[in-house]
Amino acid sequence: MLQTRLSTAARHTRIPTFARQPHAIFAHQVPTHLQWQSYAVRVIDRKKETDISTYPPDLIRNFSIIAHIDHGKSTLADRLLELTGVISKTGKNKQVLDKLKVERERGITVKAQSASMFYEYNGQKYLMNLIDTPGHVDFSYEVSRSLAACQGTILLVDAAQGIQAQTVANFYLAFGEGLAVVPMLNKVDLPTAEPERAAQQIESTFEIDASKILHMSAKTGLGVDAVLPSVIENMPPPSGSIDQPFKALLFDTWYDKYVGVVCLMAIKDGSIRKGDRIVSNHSKQKYEVTEVGIMHPEPSPTTSLQVGQVGYITCNMKSVSEAHVGDTFYRDKHPVEALPGFVPAKSMVFAGVFPIDADEFARLDESIQKLTLNDSSVSVHKETSAALGQGWRLGFLGTLHMDVFRQRLEEEYDASILITAPTVPYQIKYRDGTTRFIRTPADFPDVHTMQDNVESTMEPFVLATMIFPERYLGQMLELCTLHRGEIQNHVYIDEARVLLKCRLPMAEIVSDFFDKLKSKSQGFASFDYEEAGYEASDLVKMEVLLNNEAVDALASVMHRTSSVVAGRDMAKRLREVIRRQLFDIIIQTAANGKIVARETVKQLRKNVTAKCYGGDITRKMKLLNKQKEGKKRMKKFGKVELPQEAFLTVMTKSE
Amino acid sequence: MKVPFSLYVHWPYCTFLCRFCAFSKARVPAKGVEHERITSALLKELRTSLAPHKDKVLQSIYFGGGTPSLAQPQNIAQIIEAANSLVPLASDAEITLESNPTSAEVDKMRDFKQAGVTRYSIGIQTLNDRTLARMGRLHTGAEGLAAVDRARALFPGKVSFDMIFGFEGQTLDQWQKELETVLKHADNHMSMYQLTVEPGTPLFRDRNAQRVVLPSGDLSAQMYESAVEMCTAKGFRHYEVSNYAVPGSESMHNVGYWQGRQWVGIGPSAHSRFIDPSSNQRISSMRLPDIQRWAQHCEKFGHGTAKSTVISDADAKQEAVVFGLRMLDGITDRRFASVSGGQSLKDYLHMDRVQQYVDDGYLLWNSTDAQLAPTERGLEVIDSILIDIVP
Repeated sequence: MLQTRLSTAARHTRIPTFARQPHAIFAHQVPTHLQWQSYAVRVIDRKKETDISTYPPDLIRNFSIIAHIDHGKSTLADRLLELTGVISKTGKNKQVLDKLKVERERGITVKAQSASMFYEYNGQKYLMNLIDTPGHVDFSYEVSRSLAACQGTILLVDAAQGIQAQTVANFYLAFGEGLAVVPMLNKVDLPTAEPERAAQQIESTFEIDASKILHMSAKTGLGVDAVLPSVIENMPPPSGSIDQPFKALLFDTWYDKYVGVVCLMAIKDGSIRKGDRIVSNHSKQKYEVTEVGIMHPEPSPTTSLQVGQVGYITCNMKSVSEAHVGDTFYRDKHPVEALPGFVPAKSMVFAGVFPIDADEFARLDESIQKLTLNDSSVSVHKETSAALGQGWRLGFLGTLHMDVFRQRLEEEYDASILITAPTVPYQIKYRDGTTRFIRTPADFPDVHTMQDNVESTMEPFVLATMIFPERYLGQMLELCTLHRGEIQNHVYIDEARVLLKCRLPMAEIVSDFFDKLKSKSQGFASFDYEEAGYEASDLVKMEVLLNNEAVDALASVMHRTSSVVAGRDMAKRLREVIRRQLFDIIIQTAANGKIVARETVKQLRKNVTAKCYGGDITRKMKLLNKQKEGKKRMKKFGKVELPQEAFLTVMTKSE
Repeated sequence: MKVPFSLYVHWPYCTFLCRFCAFSKARVPAKGVEHERITSALLKELRTSLAPHKDKVLQSIYFGGGTPSLAQPQNIAQIIEAANSLVPLASDAEITLESNPTSAEVDKMRDFKQAGVTRYSIGIQTLNDRTLARMGRLHTGAEGLAAVDRARALFPGKVSFDMIFGFEGQTLDQWQKELETVLKHADNHMSMYQLTVEPGTPLFRDRNAQRVVLPSGDLSAQMYESAVEMCTAKGFRHYEVSNYAVPGSESMHNVGYWQGRQWVGIGPSAHSRFIDPSSNQRISSMRLPDIQRWAQHCEKFGHGTAKSTVISDADAKQEAVVFGLRMLDGITDRRFASVSGGQSLKDYLHMDRVQQYVDDGYLLWNSTDAQLAPTERGLEVIDSILIDIVP
């Protein structure tokens, strides 16, 4: 990603950036200890910095766009960047701010980005800072961070699809932050667009006036001219004073291998420039500012950053762990009252990650470290499994986050990994008053401890929001009930669409709830959720035993009512994927030590090539070596060989 | 002592094509086989290929195919003589010819003996006439048995026949009855193959399209075990996965393949494996499969070689173990040393796993002779064992 950032920048001739000097472009060929030196040379050589001190808060708007997935957020961002000349109108700009391959492929934004634009309105030049936000519920933590740097947000709604679950969730996030929410309708030129109906949904759901709502098509550019004027008119400028001591909120950070840690900050008071000494309120660590600038959309140095502005700062921070998102920075010897900051990201889904080939451990360790440098919301703990060897227990914000992380590991780091079934953080309350979090099924108390010492087992719940056409109401209610959901209410957001709120165990939504929701509603239902605390729940540890030995990597925690069906299902599916060996393999599943199901993979009786003469030798040897390769990818537990499919059987359920 | 050597001769024509056969072959052309042309091409290729090996001794010649019993006996004689003049035949050399049991070929048996053939191998395949017809074979089970009887009179103690089990619809009981019958006619050697569905055969397409459903793995295992049991009870030794012999009557030529003996193959699609005396490299080569192109190349260049590759020491070691362990006698350090450059089996194999298989009754390890061999039980699953123990 960093490489991409730099090389794209290098092609951009208008803006002075980190990467314009040849030193930087070839820096990956330079030994690490020399790279800093080459950076220093660049700083001296650099072209003149842009002066943006002429933009007081009144002429600044910090805003974001929030939308349901595919409602056109990234396309609108592209159009605004073109309109203000930040990027050229080639017709080829597609999701400029989505820099990761996985973001473009999946059409989602994972990592927040920002871009500054200069825009003239009514004879005045404005500095407009667009702070992009991730769209998916898993990344709502990132959304709220980005919103903290804004004063307003565009609530973008697809005129054909109307309000969807993420629209609702994001609206309340922004509303909760006290932001000015300006709804706009996108894709109004689609034949299926029903802008009046979407406007009516916005009015009835959010109780905001949608009579003067802006209609546009980000794809064709129709109506986009009116977007920035509306932002200027309807959103307040940032507050704060240039005369107050410097105070800034760190709201995002990333690691650049040439310049180290880059911090995105919103300046709340005062100003800052190169050479200033600043202090982290969190660590009290002092830093000297080596560069300040704006994202244009590549890093572009400025003479200063001042109150109301949003930009980047580099200050010789060596590790991302020094940059606490939500931290307040102030000028050395001029402490200020700290900003409220953020609640740290909480891992909602834990999974074991293991190298398929144990020899790859060291390389994978390095890859995970590198990847988490720019995704501090992943929690990392070493884990050792009897079946899978050395690996990690990683905590994610949700299953999409997990999936994105896996895809990035595989694609950007060429890793071959095995991921165990995801677990939500259960809680065990003991009779002695202590509480323990369960990140892995291995931590679940054994049968005796359960009987003697455990007061209760608790599982996390979520409050889910679903929006769908009313004809699916019956099926949606049934789906929720099947997944131990408790229906809170359902309301009609217009004459044909229902908003259903339901309290669900989080464990239910990390498996295949979302897939079922989509298939049962033929893709029409949208879904979002927020955390909703813990509740006592009758939990059991489901274990898989192969020839009477429990396989730790196949264990899971589940509600007692699911255990019989799931236990039988798992045993049956394991029988399908485990290959016959030279002995019988007894597969058993057990809930809290009690056997639920038993299946047998019969002993392999005959496996020998019938005909092998002179002409068959070459083919026979090729086959043997191919089989040996296949066997290397098997995980051995005792003498039993488990193919990778075995681990999938625990992750999914059959219909 | 001279290095023992073998010659394989591929005769590419058949009067009928069996649905399961994956060997290179062609139906006899309407205007008949060009016997002179094929023979002269074979002789050219023979001379080119055997010349570098004249310091060795010919231990065996094998006429396979195709259907070599369709060849003219005088041509077979010419090939044997030419071979002998280049690399002398050992006094006890084994010269085998494969034959179908159809009457025309049975009538030529005596002439083949005259030509120098010492061992006769007959493809009975099954006694079930319907199965024979379905597989495309133009003879009956009774003809198969009669051909064996006839051959025994001419080649006493030197007759073998092939049987196949695991045809569609075949029951264990039927197979055991067939075994009982053929054992009454058996000479000193038999091959019993499980029907193998090879890619590219009509049978392969039939099975993939589910026009043919073959017996389950467990049933074919029972059939295999019946063959072991019944043949062994009659005094035959199950010396290789699919081969049975009265001790001393094993096929010298085939044992050569499993023991890593060098050989040259001539004729379309024939394979060769030998140490090139000039470079001292281990060579694997194959002739052109197309009959016409092969013959043209022989006429032009003296041989129809399509591809020739050097076998690495690592591959040679793997092969020695994989093929050695197809035999109940297994492999010894002495034989392994000839390809390993002195490395012992113990140093080469994953011995911890070997020991586990020994403990579980699949392998035998004789430390005094440094000999590794499968048990009967081990032989039946040797493919599973090999991928574990060979590095």
